[in-house]
Amino acid sequence: MFNLILQSLYSGLLSGGYFALIALGLALVFGTMKVINLAHGEMVLLAAYMAYVMESKLGLNPLMAIPLALVVACLVSVTVYFLVSRIGKNRELNSLILTFGIGIILTNAMLIVWSADIHSTAVAAFQEPVALGPLFSMKSELAFFGVSMALVGVLWWWLSRSWYGRALRAVSSNRDAAKLMGINPYRTEIVSFVVAGVLASVAGVALYCTNVIQPALGGSLTTKAFIITVLAGVGSIPGVLIGAVLIGVVEALTVTLFSSALQEFTSMALFLLVLFVLPNGLFGGARRRG
Amino acid sequence: MKLRILLPILVVLYGLVPFLFGGNNYIMSILVASLTIAGIALAWALLGNLGGMVSFGHAAFFGVGAYISALLTMKLGVPIFWAMLAGGVGSAIASIAILPALRLSGPYFALAILAYAHIFRVLATEFSGITGGAGGLLGIPVLPTVLGYSFSSKVGGYLVIITIIVIFAFIYDRIRNSYYGFALKAMHESEDATRVVGVHSTMLKAMMLFLSAFMTGVIGAFNSHYINFLEPDYAFNSGWTMLPVVAAIFGGYRTLTGPLVGAVVIYTVDQLFFKNYIPSGHQIILGALLGVMILFSPDGLMPLITKKLRWRRQVKASPSPSQETETI
Amino acid sequence: MMNLNAITVQFGGLTALKGVSLSIGAEEVVGLVGPNGAGKTTLFNVISGLVRPTGGAASFNGANVLTTPMYKRARMGIGRTFQIPQPMHELTVRQNLLVAQRFGTGSVNLAKIDEILAFLHLTDKADRDAAQDLSLSELKALEVGKALATAPKLLLLDEVLAGLETTSKRAFMKTLIELHRVYRISILIIEHDIETISTLCPRVCVLNYGQLIADGTPQEVFSNAEVIKSYTGGGHD
Repeated sequence: MFNLILQSLYSGLLSGGYFALIALGLALVFGTMKVINLAHGEMVLLAAYMAYVMESKLGLNPLMAIPLALVVACLVSVTVYFLVSRIGKNRELNSLILTFGIGIILTNAMLIVWSADIHSTAVAAFQEPVALGPLFSMKSELAFFGVSMALVGVLWWWLSRSWYGRALRAVSSNRDAAKLMGINPYRTEIVSFVVAGVLASVAGVALYCTNVIQPALGGSLTTKAFIITVLAGVGSIPGVLIGAVLIGVVEALTVTLFSSALQEFTSMALFLLVLFVLPNGLFGGARRRG
Repeated sequence: MKLRILLPILVVLYGLVPFLFGGNNYIMSILVASLTIAGIALAWALLGNLGGMVSFGHAAFFGVGAYISALLTMKLGVPIFWAMLAGGVGSAIASIAILPALRLSGPYFALAILAYAHIFRVLATEFSGITGGAGGLLGIPVLPTVLGYSFSSKVGGYLVIITIIVIFAFIYDRIRNSYYGFALKAMHESEDATRVVGVHSTMLKAMMLFLSAFMTGVIGAFNSHYINFLEPDYAFNSGWTMLPVVAAIFGGYRTLTGPLVGAVVIYTVDQLFFKNYIPSGHQIILGALLGVMILFSPDGLMPLITKKLRWRRQVKASPSPSQETETI
Repeated sequence: MMNLNAITVQFGGLTALKGVSLSIGAEEVVGLVGPNGAGKTTLFNVISGLVRPTGGAASFNGANVLTTPMYKRARMGIGRTFQIPQPMHELTVRQNLLVAQRFGTGSVNLAKIDEILAFLHLTDKADRDAAQDLSLSELKALEVGKALATAPKLLLLDEVLAGLETTSKRAFMKTLIELHRVYRISILIIEHDIETISTLCPRVCVLNYGQLIADGTPQEVFSNAEVIKSYTGGGHD
C-alpha cells in the first residue's frame, strides 16, 4: 500500500512538470494583460497534435515536432493577443467570452481534422520503464520532467535578470507607471503571449509523449492550468511549480486510492477550497478582489 | 413592455405557431429544444446583466434541477409541476455553495462556477444509487394531463416551455424596471456609491444568483420530463452552458428578447444547416460567431436592429446615452 | 449624537488614525482640517463603514456604529460624499437620488426629490446621465444630493469644494450654508481652505499624523502653535 502511494506521489510529481509549463503560460498572460486565455489548453493540445502528425504522417520522432509546435503555438498565441487587444470595452469579461469562443473553434477544428479518436505516441523508447530506486516511470515522463524543470529555470532566470523580464513585471504591477518609464506595454504583452506559446508547445509535445490525447482535452487543460495559478497565488513562479506538482500528486493519488472518475473532482474541490478559504492562493501576496 | 406589442406576440406564440407547426414533429422538437436553450439564455443574461456576473457553469443548475425533479416524481410520486418548482428551488439552494465566489472578480467567479459544474457532474456519476449513475435514469414521468389536455405531446411540451419563458421574462422585466434594478445597474461600476446610500449590494447580487439558478433549474426539470431520460454527462453537459452563452451574446445579453431570439435562431440554424455541413465539429461556427460578436458587436444583434429601426423613425438629434434603456 | 472614542486605524505598518476621540451634537457644524495624509478621509471612512478601525468605539444616537454593516449606516442617519465624486453609473441624476432615497430611507417621496434637485440647482440636468453628462461642480452637487436623499442626521462632506473655480466655489458655499439652515442636520466637513472653514464652521477639529491636536473655535484653533506648526512643517517629534 505504502509503495502504491509512493509511486503515485512520484508519478504525480513527474506530470507536475509539464502542468507547470501550461500554468506558467496562462499566468504570464494574465499577469501582463489581466486577461485569462480560455483557449490556452486548446493551444497546448494543438501542439500535441503537431507531435502526433509528425509521428503518424511523417514517420518521424515526435520530438522533431517541437520546432513545428513552437511555430504553431506562437502563431495561435499571437493571434489571440491581437484579437483580445481589439476588444474595446470591458476587456476583462469580454476577453473571457472571446477566448471561450476561440477555444470552441480550436477544439472543433481538431475534432474535424483528427476526429475524436484518442492518440498516443507509439515510439517504444518513450514508453520503456525506467527505475529510480523502487519507483517506476516511463522514460518519456522522466525526460520531459527534466526538460520542464530546465525550462522553468530558464524562465525564472529570464524574468528576474533580463530587460523583458523586468518590463513584464513592471507592466503587470502598474501599466501606466511602466509606460512613463519608457516601457512599451504592447511589446511586453506580445512577448508574454509568445513565451506562453513556447511553454505551451513543449508542454503539448510532452503531453503527447506521456499521455493520450483527444480533442475534448483542451478545456480540462485550461481549467487545470487555471486551478494551478489560483493555488499558487499571483506572481510566484515557485508557487506555480508547487501548485502544479500538488495537482499532479492529488490526481495521481485519487486515481490510485479511489477511482479515475474522481480524478478531476478532487482538483476541482481543492480549487474551490483554496478560492474560498485562501483567496490569495498558497503563496501569493496580491489581493484578488475585483 | 407595451401591451400593444405584447398581445400580438402572445397570440403568435400560443395560437399561430401550434396551429402552423403542431403537426410537424420534427419542427416542434427543434422549437422546444431551442426554447429550452432560450430559457437558460434568459437566466444567464439576467445574472450577467443585473447581477453583473458572467457564469461558465450554468449547466450545474440545469442538471441539479433536472435530477431533483426527476427523482421527486419517480421516488416520491410528487406531482410533476410541483416537482419542477422544487427542481428550481433545489438549484437555488445549490447555488448557495457558490455564494462566497461573489466577492471574487469576474474571471474568477466565472471559472469557480465552471469548477462547480464539473463537481456536480462527477457527484451525479458517483452517487449511482440515487441518480442511476452513469447509466442514467430511465422512464422519467412525462408532463401530465391537465383538464383533459395532455402536455406530454410535442405541442404540449411547447406550451409548457413557452409559458415558463413568458413568466420568467415578466419577472426579469419587473426587476429591471424597479428600484432594485436601478441599484443593480449602478452596482456594476459604482458599488461603493450604492452601499453608502443604503443598498445591501451583496444581498442583491446573491438574490440574482438564486433567481438565475432557480430559473435554470426549472428549465432543467422541464427538460427531464420532456425527454424522460437523464444521465450525468447529459444533464451537466457543457453544451447547456455554451449554447445559451452564444445565444445571449448573439442576440444581445443586455436586452430581454435578445437571448430568447438569439437562442431560437442559433439553435435552429445550427441543427438544420451547420450540422449537415459539418456533422462532427459543427459547433466551430458557433465559436466563430461568438468571437465575431464580441469583437464587432458586443451588445449583440437585437440592439443593432432596434437601433437601426429607431434611427429611421427619428428626425431629431440622437438621445442622450442614458435614454437608451432597453425596453424590449 | 455621534461619539468617537479612541479610534485607531492601522494599515499594515502605517497608523492612519491614532486614538481619535470626538463628539458631534445635533445640528452642529464642525470643520475637520489637517495637512494631506492626516487621516481626515480615513476618519470619514470609519464613520461611514468603508474601513474597520483596529481599535476604539463609535456610537451614533446610542447605537454601536462599528457593528453596523456599511449599508445600514445610511438608515442610521449617516450620509457621506466622496472626495472624488462617485455618481451611480448608468443612471440619471434623478435615478441616483431615487435609489439613495429608496434604500436610505425605505420609501420614496418624489416631492422631496424635486426639492433636493431644486436646492442643488440640478433640476434641468435631472434626466441626464449622471456619470457622463455633468460638470465637476454638478457632480459634486450630486454627491451632496445623494447623501441628502437618504435623510441623514449627520452629513459627512469630503472636500466638496476642492477643484472648483472661484465662482462655483462661492455658489457652493452659499448652498452649504443654506443646507444647514434648511435641513437642520449635523455636518462634519473636510476642507483645505481655512477661510472657508472659518466662515462655515463655528467649531473646528484639527488632525495631524492621525491624531486630533485641536478642537475648538476657528480663532482658538488657528492660533494654536501646534496647529500652525503642522501646516508650516514643524517636522516630526
